[in-house]
Amino acid sequence: MRRGLMGRDEAELPVAAIEARLKRLRDAMAAAGFDAFVVYTNNVRPSAVTWLTGFTPYWSDALLLVGRTGAPAFATALSKRVSEWIRTTDPVSEIVNTPKPGSLIGERLKSGTSVRKVGVLEYDTLPAGLADDLAAAAPAVEWLDGTALFAGLRREIDSAERALLARADAIAVAALREAESGKASDAGTLAGLVEQHARLHGAEEAYIAVAPDLDADRRLNRTSQPTPLADRFAVRASIAYKGCWVRRTRTFAKDGSAAKADAWFEGVVQSIEPGKPLAAQLAEKLKALPGATLDSWMAESCIGSYPLSVVASSRMAANAATLNGELLMLTVELAIDGAPWTGIAPLFVGQKNS
Amino acid sequence: MIAGERLLRLVDAMKDEGLDALLVYGNAWQGDYLRYATDFGILEGQGLAVIRQDGRITLYVDSPLEADRAALDCPGVEVVLAPDLTGEVDAALNRMSNQRIGAAPQRLLPRRIAARAKDLNLTDQTAFVDHLLMAKLSGEIDAIRKAARLADEGYKVFMQAVRPGRADYELIAEAEAFFRANGVDDNFQIIGVGGVEVKGMAPPSGKRLKRGDMVTTELTPCVDGYYAQICRTLVVGEANAEQKAAHALWRESMEAGIATVRDGVTAADIAKAENDVFRKYGMGQYCTSEFTRVRGHGMGLFADSKPHILEDVTTRIETGMALIVHPNTYHPAVGYMVLGDGVAVEDDGCEVLTRTPRELFSVAV
Repeated sequence: MRRGLMGRDEAELPVAAIEARLKRLRDAMAAAGFDAFVVYTNNVRPSAVTWLTGFTPYWSDALLLVGRTGAPAFATALSKRVSEWIRTTDPVSEIVNTPKPGSLIGERLKSGTSVRKVGVLEYDTLPAGLADDLAAAAPAVEWLDGTALFAGLRREIDSAERALLARADAIAVAALREAESGKASDAGTLAGLVEQHARLHGAEEAYIAVAPDLDADRRLNRTSQPTPLADRFAVRASIAYKGCWVRRTRTFAKDGSAAKADAWFEGVVQSIEPGKPLAAQLAEKLKALPGATLDSWMAESCIGSYPLSVVASSRMAANAATLNGELLMLTVELAIDGAPWTGIAPLFVGQKNS
Repeated sequence: MIAGERLLRLVDAMKDEGLDALLVYGNAWQGDYLRYATDFGILEGQGLAVIRQDGRITLYVDSPLEADRAALDCPGVEVVLAPDLTGEVDAALNRMSNQRIGAAPQRLLPRRIAARAKDLNLTDQTAFVDHLLMAKLSGEIDAIRKAARLADEGYKVFMQAVRPGRADYELIAEAEAFFRANGVDDNFQIIGVGGVEVKGMAPPSGKRLKRGDMVTTELTPCVDGYYAQICRTLVVGEANAEQKAAHALWRESMEAGIATVRDGVTAADIAKAENDVFRKYGMGQYCTSEFTRVRGHGMGLFADSKPHILEDVTTRIETGMALIVHPNTYHPAVGYMVLGDGVAVEDDGCEVLTRTPRELFSVAV
């Protein structure tokens, strides 16, 4: 449940930027033959609606209807009293409060005389209750999956989103420095310090996970327990700022042995090239880190309703995929002379990352 | 421990219902059904779990980070990383032909799976799981009791963070740091800052506190997945006479509601007791949906559990339920005000779980 700073600032996310995104969607809809497009949101799957309107739900769920023209209709089960707050984050939509968002959007589609084909983002995973209400209210509509269409739009990151991502990343980087402060000797206290720092600096959401003894287990988990921190541990900060998510993981070693890999990784995220398989690039770059073996890698991006989804990894058949222009959160797990190291950092493929 | 007891109870109930298996869905918003069955507190992505009558559980999650977390948190559960969540679970259900499978909550199931309900012999069993979620085991009440203690402590931290010039989100940041260091994995919290212009609570928007502001909050930490809530209002500086008078009404209403709670009454009885106090003072219109959402609700594995305390909700209140009684609403002279205590229902009354004084707090400036 979101409980950090939520709000839209015209200087950070101008209405013109949102309208440009809506125009891109409408252009793509026209090309695909969609008369309208429906997007679902809740606080776990907020990102598509956030991108199209600026609004992220702290709770409950909703549907956004984007027609060929006019203001999008945002139908939410949140009460009417919350509308004023929704309006502070969404400057473009018609906000409609209704206990049955699916029925309301379905009625709107039914009343649109020329609406026949409707694209739905992630149609397979639309909640059944909403899908049933949509279908019952608009029985003549042909529902089509619009996931690939939307993912194509998200390859282009505009300047407003870049700036918000940069702010989220700055928060994550600074928050993780709490692990260097020596103020915490246990995982729960450290997680609290990292989260506190992030939220004090405006994070909308902060998921903090810790692997308290990296030599014993490299899996990271959220924690609120006084588990002692071993000589080598890792902390992950997944941070949202105004709806834009960044993930960072750092390895901390009391003997300073993580520094060499930290520097290597910094160079890696600056130099990933477009049009070349990520796996091959990582294997090549690893030669610059003596004694290191690559245990696994993973790339996440924001391509639909999830803040971050896996788009390629060493576990996936698609690991030979080439990438171009996308925002990625790159996870790398190494063993350096037998000792584990793990890191995550954001990058834009083929572009200087700062 | 409590997870094992819950699973035994669930499996027994499945047998009583004639179910061979149960399919539960969860995400970080509505995670209670999934948590009840698997004990996994999902954060990112979505999860589906199949519980069989012999107690075996398979948990499907679509995030690799969550698969790692689930394997650490739920050692007795088979965890499957399923990037194509609906496809994998659809295929798994296909392999369970000729079995009677229940689903909960049906309305949140992925459309693709729900659309094949007839083929898969899948029936909506949300109500049957809802009853398990509401009528709790003693171990579940113990967890809520611990969460209520931490809600009290967390509210102290929240109050200590209040001073003019601070932003609303900074107060929540301080409470979260306390919670992470003290066994609280998650917290639901909304806030209101200001005066008559404030019609409700929402996430923090960056508003800065000033003298005379009322600060309202619902603070809802969880322990072992169980949420307990406290609602309190404070004033930055000295409270004025209107604020004090309004708070006295809220307190009378909340205490009337709490005095009604016992085994055998309905949710409507509690709401009516609260609302009658407002009506007595000519404030009945502020008990309507224009100004308030609910007059309380259940507490448990979901921060806003059933039953909702409203005059049209006839759910029978039973020993073992946990509720928050909160007559939160708008007052035309002072703005939105909140006051609420968590309670555990007993045969002839209730145990009040939160212990923070029922005061309109003033924070010195």
